[in-house]
Amino acid sequence: MTIRNKNRQPVVAGVHGLPYSKDIGMTERHSGALAILGALDDAGLTVNDVEGLTRYVWQPTTEMEMARVTGIPNLKWFGAQDYGGGAGPPTVALACAAIELGLIDVAVVWRSRNRSSGGRPWAGQMLAEGQDQFERPFGIVRPADGIALIVRLWMKQFGWTREDFGQVAITVRGHANRNPMAMMRAKTLDMEQYLASRMIAEPLCLFDNCLETDGALAIVLVAAERARDLNAKHPPAYVTGYALGSGPEVYAMTNYYGERLGDSPNAYVAPELWKNTGLKPEDIDVVQIYDAFTPQVPLFFQEFGFCGEGEGAQYLKSDECIPYNTSGGGLSEAYVHGFNLIVEGARQVRGDSPSQVEDVKHTVVTGGNVVPTGALVLSKEPW
Amino acid sequence: MNAATPLPPKPVADRDTQPFWDAVAERRLVVQRCSKCGRWIWQPRPLCPTCHAADPVWTDVSGDARVVSWTVLHPPVLTVWHDKLPFVILLVELDDAPGVRMIGQLVDAAGDLLQTDGTAQGIDFGAGVSLRWRVDEAGQTLPAWTVS
Repeated sequence: MTIRNKNRQPVVAGVHGLPYSKDIGMTERHSGALAILGALDDAGLTVNDVEGLTRYVWQPTTEMEMARVTGIPNLKWFGAQDYGGGAGPPTVALACAAIELGLIDVAVVWRSRNRSSGGRPWAGQMLAEGQDQFERPFGIVRPADGIALIVRLWMKQFGWTREDFGQVAITVRGHANRNPMAMMRAKTLDMEQYLASRMIAEPLCLFDNCLETDGALAIVLVAAERARDLNAKHPPAYVTGYALGSGPEVYAMTNYYGERLGDSPNAYVAPELWKNTGLKPEDIDVVQIYDAFTPQVPLFFQEFGFCGEGEGAQYLKSDECIPYNTSGGGLSEAYVHGFNLIVEGARQVRGDSPSQVEDVKHTVVTGGNVVPTGALVLSKEPW
Repeated sequence: MNAATPLPPKPVADRDTQPFWDAVAERRLVVQRCSKCGRWIWQPRPLCPTCHAADPVWTDVSGDARVVSWTVLHPPVLTVWHDKLPFVILLVELDDAPGVRMIGQLVDAAGDLLQTDGTAQGIDFGAGVSLRWRVDEAGQTLPAWTVS
């Protein structure tokens, strides 16, 4: 059981996101700074209050660079979490742990990424080092290529169909159509369009893949005892707990060399998250699932125990299925390495989501589940 | 990537993986095996992760294998592969080294990349495949597999 001190519980006190676009027209340094300043304003804080900054390893601007740009006078805590889109909740956890330990009172976590105008990170890849030397020269270059091999195994193992994946794409597109911020706010999607779309890496088609977006978002985390005095613009979202996990013999994106072929690192995150939070699936009202690819959604529901193993696709079609990716997610709102899911999780708890679920007590947010990853729970009430 | 001279990604060996690529240059497929506990080890590493014995032995394997999974690539891909689409990438498990799974492209009996979605070749779960050697667009020799 984790140690809990009510005064030290981390609280999401502010969030901010810039409008998404295909070309945001500024550097990731610039957009990241605006996201950080916006989130501080939402929390009723200034740069002088910030003691910690944490980031994704893939974030091209360091904590020090952002501190210089925004004028944060001193950082007492900083660091980065690796593994691409798996890094979201772990990056939040890195800041939360420091707050719970009493090392700092205020931290900011951000992600700014010009994933659209900046080009595809793999497009210029010429040298394949480390694990890549056994994959990239053979054609496993795009993220979709790596995961396609695992998805085909899941389809065989669990009886999933392309229509099951289409249902995910259509559901989150519906959320995006209600979200004025979403890239796909004006574009509807039905099963006929889904099934007719072009293949990218079989069995994945265009609509199984997330968007390519320029975006910048940030959240402010504050110790509960400090949060009580804030003049924040929205109610707080309490961080009830979090967990990280890798599993054995883990590889990023190409996790098919170990004994438990088909498991994702989330199979190891899930039991830790329930243990660390003292919650169970029935306590969760809405979820934000890392959705770079549609099949990650049914896998989430079965790996986190919302249904039995292999029942993820049936669960999605059942009346028990709780709302997921209510902003449109990576598939239809924006792809910012899952940081929009973290912000949407906080909004569901605060009550300002574009697809607000009634009376949200707890929400789960996950990181990418084909890489080492993590998950967190945000809640309406404190410990 | 320079569009005028498109090249595929180049494998960069290090001290732990060099013996694999040296063998590939001689058209031999080798996999590490622990001399103490007998564990097959892939991808290459300096110690046996089970018993920590040093210097796992590079062992020749036939390359006969079974298809575990596969994907078929469609645009957009690296420029060098544009005119070769669609082609199939296999995940195979080696008959001689149980549990060892490798990535390779589907080629014909001569080792040339096949422009196919794998249907005509009968690619399916468990399909038997045999090792061939493909020389890629940069002159790099790569292990590849053809339907047995």
